[in-house]
Amino acid sequence: MREASMGIIDKAISCISDKGQDGIAGIWDDEHKLVEAAKKTRDSGVVGFEAISPFPLHGIDEAMGIPLSFIPWVTFVFGLSGCAFGLWFTWWTSAVNWPILIGGKPMFSLPAFIPIMFELTILFGALSSVASLFFICGLPRVEPPVIDPDLTSHRFALFVPKTAKGFDKQRLMDLFKSLGADEVKETRF
Amino acid sequence: MENINDLKPQPKYWMSLEQWTQDPEFLKMAENEFLSSPLSSEDGKDGWARREFLKLMGASLALTTFGCVRRPAEKIIPYAKRPVEVVPGIPDYYASSYFDGAEGLGIVVQTREGRPIKIEGNTEHPANEGGMSARAHAHILKLYDPDRATGPLKNLQNEKKTNNQTVNITWDKLDQEVVEQLKKGKVAFLTATIASPATKELIQSFASQVGGKTYEMDEIPYEAVREGQKLSYGDDVVPQYRIDKAKYILAVNNDFIGTWLTPVAFQKMFSKTRNPDENMSKLTVVESLLSLTGSNADERFRIKPSQTLDFLMGLAYQLNNVMKVGGATANADILSALKEYAQVDARLGLKEGTIARIAEEIAHHRGESLVLSGGMTTGGKDAVAIQVVTNLINSILGNEGTTVLAGAPLNTARGSYKQVSDLMKAIKDKSVETLIIYGVNPTYALPEASGFQEALRNVPVVIYAGDRKDETGFQADYIPTVHHELENWGDLETSQGVFSLQQPTIQPLYDTRSFQDSLLAWAKGLGKKSARLGSENWHEYLKSYWKSEIYPKVSKAGTFDNFWVDSLKSGVVNLAKKDSSHRSFKAASFSTFKKRDAVPEMELVLYPTVGLRSGELANVSWMQEFPDPVTKLVWDNYFTFSIGDAKKLKLSQGRMVSVKVNGQTIEGPAHIQPGQAEGVVGLAVGYGRTRGGKVCDGVGINAFNLAQPDGDQLLTAGFKAEVTPLSKRYDLATTQGHNTMEGRQIVVEETLAQFMKKPGGQIHHPKMMTMWSEHKYPGRKWAMTIDLNKCTGCSACLTACQSENNIPTVGKKYVLQGREMHWLRIDRYYTGEPEDAGVVNQPIVCMHCDNAPCETVCPVAATTHSDEGTNDMIYNRCVGTRYCSNNCPYKVRRFNWFSYTDVKQPLNLAMNPEVTVRNRGVMEKCTFCIHRIKFEESQAKMHDRELKDGDVKTACQESCPTNAIIFGNINDPNSEVAKRFKQPMMYDLLEELNTKPSVRYHTKVRNAAQIKSHGKEEHNT
Amino acid sequence: MMHRTPLILGKKTYKDISDDICALVERFPSPRFMLGLAGAQFLFLIFVLVQGAIVFKGLGLMGVSHPVGWATDIVTFVFWIGIGHAGTLISAILFLFRQKWRTSIARTAEAMTVFAVMTAGLFPILHVGRPWLAYWLLPYPNQRGPLWVNFRSPLIWDVFAVSTYATVSIVFWYVGMVPDFATVRDRAKNIWRKRIYGLLSLGWRGTAHDWNHYEMVYMLLAGLATPLVLSVHSIVSFDFAVSSLPGWHTTIFPPYFVAGAIFSGFGMCITLMTIFRALVPTIKDYITMEHLDVMNRIILATGMMVGYSYGSEFFVAWYSGVEYEQYMILNRALGPLNYSYWTMVTCNVLIPQIFWFRKMRRNLWVMFIVSIFVNIGMWFERFVITVTSLHRDFLPSNWGMFHFTMFDFGALFGSFGLFLTLFLLYLRVLPSVSIAEVKPVSKVGYEGGEHGHH
Repeated sequence: MREASMGIIDKAISCISDKGQDGIAGIWDDEHKLVEAAKKTRDSGVVGFEAISPFPLHGIDEAMGIPLSFIPWVTFVFGLSGCAFGLWFTWWTSAVNWPILIGGKPMFSLPAFIPIMFELTILFGALSSVASLFFICGLPRVEPPVIDPDLTSHRFALFVPKTAKGFDKQRLMDLFKSLGADEVKETRF
Repeated sequence: MENINDLKPQPKYWMSLEQWTQDPEFLKMAENEFLSSPLSSEDGKDGWARREFLKLMGASLALTTFGCVRRPAEKIIPYAKRPVEVVPGIPDYYASSYFDGAEGLGIVVQTREGRPIKIEGNTEHPANEGGMSARAHAHILKLYDPDRATGPLKNLQNEKKTNNQTVNITWDKLDQEVVEQLKKGKVAFLTATIASPATKELIQSFASQVGGKTYEMDEIPYEAVREGQKLSYGDDVVPQYRIDKAKYILAVNNDFIGTWLTPVAFQKMFSKTRNPDENMSKLTVVESLLSLTGSNADERFRIKPSQTLDFLMGLAYQLNNVMKVGGATANADILSALKEYAQVDARLGLKEGTIARIAEEIAHHRGESLVLSGGMTTGGKDAVAIQVVTNLINSILGNEGTTVLAGAPLNTARGSYKQVSDLMKAIKDKSVETLIIYGVNPTYALPEASGFQEALRNVPVVIYAGDRKDETGFQADYIPTVHHELENWGDLETSQGVFSLQQPTIQPLYDTRSFQDSLLAWAKGLGKKSARLGSENWHEYLKSYWKSEIYPKVSKAGTFDNFWVDSLKSGVVNLAKKDSSHRSFKAASFSTFKKRDAVPEMELVLYPTVGLRSGELANVSWMQEFPDPVTKLVWDNYFTFSIGDAKKLKLSQGRMVSVKVNGQTIEGPAHIQPGQAEGVVGLAVGYGRTRGGKVCDGVGINAFNLAQPDGDQLLTAGFKAEVTPLSKRYDLATTQGHNTMEGRQIVVEETLAQFMKKPGGQIHHPKMMTMWSEHKYPGRKWAMTIDLNKCTGCSACLTACQSENNIPTVGKKYVLQGREMHWLRIDRYYTGEPEDAGVVNQPIVCMHCDNAPCETVCPVAATTHSDEGTNDMIYNRCVGTRYCSNNCPYKVRRFNWFSYTDVKQPLNLAMNPEVTVRNRGVMEKCTFCIHRIKFEESQAKMHDRELKDGDVKTACQESCPTNAIIFGNINDPNSEVAKRFKQPMMYDLLEELNTKPSVRYHTKVRNAAQIKSHGKEEHNT
Repeated sequence: MMHRTPLILGKKTYKDISDDICALVERFPSPRFMLGLAGAQFLFLIFVLVQGAIVFKGLGLMGVSHPVGWATDIVTFVFWIGIGHAGTLISAILFLFRQKWRTSIARTAEAMTVFAVMTAGLFPILHVGRPWLAYWLLPYPNQRGPLWVNFRSPLIWDVFAVSTYATVSIVFWYVGMVPDFATVRDRAKNIWRKRIYGLLSLGWRGTAHDWNHYEMVYMLLAGLATPLVLSVHSIVSFDFAVSSLPGWHTTIFPPYFVAGAIFSGFGMCITLMTIFRALVPTIKDYITMEHLDVMNRIILATGMMVGYSYGSEFFVAWYSGVEYEQYMILNRALGPLNYSYWTMVTCNVLIPQIFWFRKMRRNLWVMFIVSIFVNIGMWFERFVITVTSLHRDFLPSNWGMFHFTMFDFGALFGSFGLFLTLFLLYLRVLPSVSIAEVKPVSKVGYEGGEHGHH
């Protein structure tokens, strides 16, 4: 448990202070070209590159071979635990810890406790999913390197870090140009 | 009073004589005991708080150490030296007496750490047998009335006695000046009926010493009764009306349950005849306004006040001339006098043959029936005649000597307007130099038309022994401020031979002095000394009076001192012997009178209310916020109109009207009263005080001022009235939102016949089912039964509860918003046709439901169920969501909308330390007097015995004159409540909600042919 | 049908969209806007003063009394909670149904939810006798035993429902804004704006992987918010339905309340959107007639649903054969407080019928006025349920009347001050249209929409 939490904390810190790594970026003005480019880049054997866009791109996941997010499982597990906690807590407080005669009802009046259980299910589910989103995307992050400010507005980019498998500076530059990139540059991300 | 003794086994309340005489503490104090004003016994250095504290502590010390056998010593001793008898937190009980102006009650005063906090009935006393009236309860708050004068006052009057600059004066100075004045002689006393034999003797002997005359007056006049007795039987008495011996009671414009003479005693007796069995009495009421008596009637007829005589004559005619009942039959005078009343039904607007029928019924109960009449509403010119006819009828029916006993008459209502007019004559012929007024407030209670106020201005010196500078005090020259009764010694003779003592239960709060002590001081000053007038103080006087006047009459009483202590203990000495008087009616009286009252188309009558009576307690907020048992209105008096007249005059509730009556025109709000006779306007007395205090000044109209002197009589009814509706409206504050049951099963009524056939046959029991198994209550389980058949609606319980539980009053403005705080309320519903409405009363307390809806919805568990079945309210946990109140089907919960706890000094002293004062924003409600339960439980544990039935009595139960409320442990099969609870005629209120209340109601049984409709369709099984 | 007509007018490029929407945050607001804000703040001040007086002096200042233990505060609480629901409905439920037209109004609708819930949340606290102890409604370990709360009480359910609802809505709202914060951040010239929005954006980068999880979480939140929103108003309705009071004790309440909530919520949406359009002309291209038209249809539909509930109450009263129930319903329609009942029926059932006509659905003034009536009507619906049921219940002797005081009005109108202040500030400082969500659908309706998402 303790190691795990340490691990998490370390990762969190590294994320926040992550100043990125060197690599090559190609920038497009049309999202469809980008999806195309991503596909080609992947075909060309490059693994571990990243696509940056101002909004979620249709088909980019297939293009880059990104699997379906696993977060629903987190939601499910925490949702259930929320429900269970609700049940246990209401039972323990009203029937065990300090039972009080109320309205002639039994100490453990389950029907009355269901709303609590339900709300806790939702609460735990929702918060856990958002938490895991932040965790996975490494948020929050302080002043991350920016390839181009317009990437959150109307431009789209591919970035291949030096460390990526099959990284070849010249080849990638040519590839991006051939794929109609408006701009290709060495950068840090 | 062994019942109180075994109720409160520890500590003993009055030390035995030996003890206190041996007690060193006492001996020490007896030496340096001095009699002077409490203030002078204090060292000026102390701050108020400590002085007050010490004073109280000292008082309790004195009281308890001496067992109230001596005048409390003003020796101040802190509780560091706790007297053996006083255990902090344990209440002490002192038997005493209370006289409300007409009725004497044996009371027991509960004190805590030396301050009286509650008055309860003395079960030993034959008059009220523990029963109480709302006013008797409220009386305690007058002790703590912030508007009381705190010392003797002197008014610097000018010649005309109009300007009125008041200065404080020391007692010595006052005595000196008064004595000087008294030396001039020509002293007159104007007092209320003095029911205290010792005081009476004191005044008499003082008067004779200074060559003065005494005059008595009653603010609420009853003189007609005595007059009638004189004419009919030749003796000047108020006989005893033995309602408990009557099987048929006919009350003609007589409110014996509410306000006439001795209502508490009457209710006691009445309730004894109301057990629903073959001996159940029948109450027939013929009246103009809807009185409390009328609302308890089995059968009720409406006539105008001015027709009272016609009705009675008509009845006498039927009995005497037609049915030839009784001995007077032969008498020619009577026969002829009655002739003209052969056919009065139509004239009175009654169904043909009604009177004949009543005559039939009542004739079946010769010697065990009772006809009652009189009261302010018959205070017309015929007042006396009415009494005479009533007496005739009682004699005819042979009730004289059985239900009407004159052998040991009531010691009340000796006053008369004749004496007042005599006094005024005396003043006119300058034969009054000094007028001493005591116990009455004539300037307020007498109409200006009587000329009394004017006469008072012509008296050189007026001494008013009152407790404040009120209306009369304003006209007086000296106000030797008197003690409150709870601060003073005294005695009481309720009816001939029934004596009781009144003992002080607290050190006087202020620099006041009892009237009796004043007289003694002045007597001393005058140097005149008869045997007793020489007494050192009033207490000595009282003792010596009892020694010489009462003690000798008592057989085997032991030494006087023993007798004295015992009488203090039990509070009553009953020397009344078996009353076997029988008097014969003087036919002569009959021919003497003619009917004098005209029957105006619209007539005004004055009436006293249960709450305020003559207004002597008007400055007690409890009584101002006391829902009138009939109208349920508070904080006002008003003109009551019948529904018919309201239609005619296009009146609506609260519409202002101007009423022109004998020359005066007064404006006031209209109240539309179902069941009131047409052509009658009622107006309550006791309101419209101008100098009574901050609470009562300017509340309502002074109806006394409408009374009319007529020779030696003061008319209070039968005035021709012209009513003109005004455009203005006025808010009348009521505590009851709606007056009919809408056909819901709320109060279940049965006729006696139905009841005899199948008790509770009229109760509709719904089929119930529940998804929970009920909780078990293995130990005790508290429950209550309320007998609607016994309940008269007198509302004594309501005030008892208010006094016991520190319940605040909120004022008219907030009552209008429904924010009154009463934990116990009495719902009053009208039944049948509104014009001729019947009435049912239903006391509502917290039902302490097993399945309490309030508990389920409280988010913070501030109201929960105890394992003894009570529904507890945890004030300090309550955050005030008011959800519980919304979900309570009985709406018994009260919310503290503002902070009501910070009351004006010294009202805080009236608080019961056993009951939490609730702060702003919390909910409160009836607790079943849980503090009493806990007290008794701990007492029982301390003396390790089982709690037995009757140990715990709730405040309401204790004060109920008709024992309608029974409380106890329902798990004890032998407890009275357990026996009653399961009976077929008991029902749960709103049973269909399955709240399983711990309070059950006994059906209302009417000794009548049928029950009036409850509105909409009826429930029937 | 929606796919044919453009969702965003004026053939915007992605850049235009960024410019248009960020402009609201970057440009100094128009005087018209400032005027509106001043008005809102004035109302808010009233709210503060009135509630201050009540907390200081006592609840007695308001009209609540015996037997009417709940009135303005609770009515307004339910009213605001109801308002919130439309926001979640638009942002979550329509999202699940893939209703693309929602994108440009979703953000504002959510904002409405958040602020409405915040406003509503104040009332249950301020309506209690001792507000300073309101935290006792939370089940926290304490030194009183520990004494826990009574979980059988609907008010505790409320605490859980409302706080959960508030939390989830805020999270949902915030998560939706993160990419847009990034946009603002990257456009920022001013260093402080860059820092602040940078902070808010949590350093969002918008990589494909991020977007992948992001979309999933967004969908999950939508999926969770949907049952939540239904549960919240059901639970609020339990406050009444669980009690034993005639007029409260009704099984129809949950659906009835939810329908009413959506109804009132859309009413408020229309009110705000029309104001929004009036204050910020550029937004017209994003919040188009199409949006308003659709919302008006929903108002029409839900209006008839509540109408149905009103009718069914009569039926149930008659069918149940319970005299209290029957009296209650008659008392609503004919009793001393009948004005509230008929206001409710007129505003909620009759007036919206005008939306049968397309012309009316698309007329700004008409819809604005109707939406105001809907708000009034829905407030009175809660008033009818709460007050007219309370003021005449089982024992006629308890019957009483309810009278408004100035403090009631102060609390009610003041709460609009709080709400509008928050809302206008939101328009000023937060991207009031979801940039990242609008862009994908901006092509819809042009070029046959083959570039759009579908």
